[in-house]
Amino acid sequence: MPNTLSPSAKKALTRIGDILLPKNGEFPSFSETGSIAHIDELTSYAPKGDIGDLSMLLTVLSFLPDFVLNWIVNKMENAQYSDGMLSPIFRQLDFGLRGLIFSCYYSEKMGAAYKGKKPLDVIGFSIKRVE
Amino acid sequence: MAYDYIIIGSGPSGGNVAYHLNKAGAKCLLLEAGKFFRKETFPRNEADSAAQLYWGGGIEFDADARMAFLRARVVGGTSIVNQCLLDRFDDTALDSWRQQSGVDFFTTEKMAPYYDKVESKLSLHTFTPDDRNRNAVLFSGACEKLGYKWHYLRKGQNDCAHEQGNDCIACLGGCHRDSKQSSLVGYVQKAEKEGLEIITGVMVEKLDVNSERAHVFGVKDNKPVEYYAKNLVLAGGSFGTTKLLLQSGFKAKLPALGKYFSSHPQWMTFGVFDEPVQSHKGYFQTVASKDPSFRTKGFKLENVFAPPISIGMLFNVFGKKHQDIMRNYTKMSCIEVAIRDENIGEIAVDKKGKLVVKKPLSDLDKKKRDEGLDVVENILKTSGAKDIIRSPYYFGLHLMGGCVIGTDAATSVVNPEFNVHGFKNVFIADSSIYPNAPGINPSLSIMAISQKLSDQLIR
Repeated sequence: MPNTLSPSAKKALTRIGDILLPKNGEFPSFSETGSIAHIDELTSYAPKGDIGDLSMLLTVLSFLPDFVLNWIVNKMENAQYSDGMLSPIFRQLDFGLRGLIFSCYYSEKMGAAYKGKKPLDVIGFSIKRVE
Repeated sequence: MAYDYIIIGSGPSGGNVAYHLNKAGAKCLLLEAGKFFRKETFPRNEADSAAQLYWGGGIEFDADARMAFLRARVVGGTSIVNQCLLDRFDDTALDSWRQQSGVDFFTTEKMAPYYDKVESKLSLHTFTPDDRNRNAVLFSGACEKLGYKWHYLRKGQNDCAHEQGNDCIACLGGCHRDSKQSSLVGYVQKAEKEGLEIITGVMVEKLDVNSERAHVFGVKDNKPVEYYAKNLVLAGGSFGTTKLLLQSGFKAKLPALGKYFSSHPQWMTFGVFDEPVQSHKGYFQTVASKDPSFRTKGFKLENVFAPPISIGMLFNVFGKKHQDIMRNYTKMSCIEVAIRDENIGEIAVDKKGKLVVKKPLSDLDKKKRDEGLDVVENILKTSGAKDIIRSPYYFGLHLMGGCVIGTDAATSVVNPEFNVHGFKNVFIADSSIYPNAPGINPSLSIMAISQKLSDQLIR
């Protein structure tokens, strides 16, 4: 069984991605970049059980309305300061989701159809690699 | 086939021991869970590096999901993804180890021959004023204004092509020039040329040891594998080595197994400037604090930075606020506080075989953190930052303890001859034997202590 997210899970991840990374001046929104096209390359290296669990959770989230996703993102944002019983789950979710979303967004690889400025170019990141 | 030695783990400890034993003519097998990347094949971007070079697909957490751990899963171990900053331990660290462990060779004099041997095999470079990028210039300048002592770091490197404009931040994903003196460059590739047998992608799951022979059971390519040797050297680091012994039932005889874990927790704070700082350019980590008062208080400061995904992960504001911070990526300086934490962490394995790490911060740890962060803020203000952003997230990059060394089997796992207590053919000299946090980058000392084990085994 491939170690990848289901199509529904990817849809949920894209919606959450747009909350975390909306269109903002020169910054494209997460969905606009199409960078989620490369998510399978990243998840293929993650522990199988972890991706299976995440895919299931995201599939459930894909059925929820935007205001619930916003509530979850808000919980993630404040989880580092919280001592509530569920806060470890929100902290893990925070790192897990942001890790995947940022890895796509701040990557060299955008979707095939995207022709705009890459987020890496917006922030001015470039490195010289002398081989 | 029975080997003289199976070495499990190819980082600074396993690499050193495998190299020397192989050179001395022992029949050795080096097992590694990760892949064998070369300078030509290391991933060329941050996302792929995180996914392909680390356990957990990038990051692991403590049980409370507050503290994140970065641990490499690749031939060469964590030396592939660190900055290869190579400092000897001082009297403060070694005196504390000697007192806790009762092991008498933990003195600067007695450890000196092993440091000498390791250093003689590596290419070392102490940074100079011209090596500093603007992040380092801002840090050192502000330290001088405030009267804080600082120093140039010493790195294991051969030829970083600095004068040609090479940006060393790329080497956090594996050095593409074989310049960084990782275990891969320093030991494993050399040993490979001299005939060392290396098998990668092996997830070792269990050991079965008797006085004659050690059996190693694992999985490779989803198939069970089994290897035999007269002796084992465990070099999977604090998590890897401890987990393997726990899974193999050693806890029943060794009550200290899994205890005394420490990790030098680190917090990063950013200064935002009007002009570009370009902290990611050139040698991106060249200076650090050297103030005796910081050492006494139990923290140190390092002038660091990271590529965009990692930097983005450090801010807990989302949406446009996040992007507005990231827009200033090239205008940020950064200082990290690392504390000499108390060794109250504990490593366990759950019923599914997953690591469970408890790593609370003690009140003393929090005091050290807060004192360090206050100094950082002062330095950033003095250097002219118009805005200061503290990251609430913290990380453990130096994973230590779990199989600590000592003379008493009730309170330690490994004896002063590096044998697991009661097992004359199982040896450990990696960071899992560290009695407590030294407050100094551990890489060189892992190699020096492993050198002591190598010399002992060859004798």
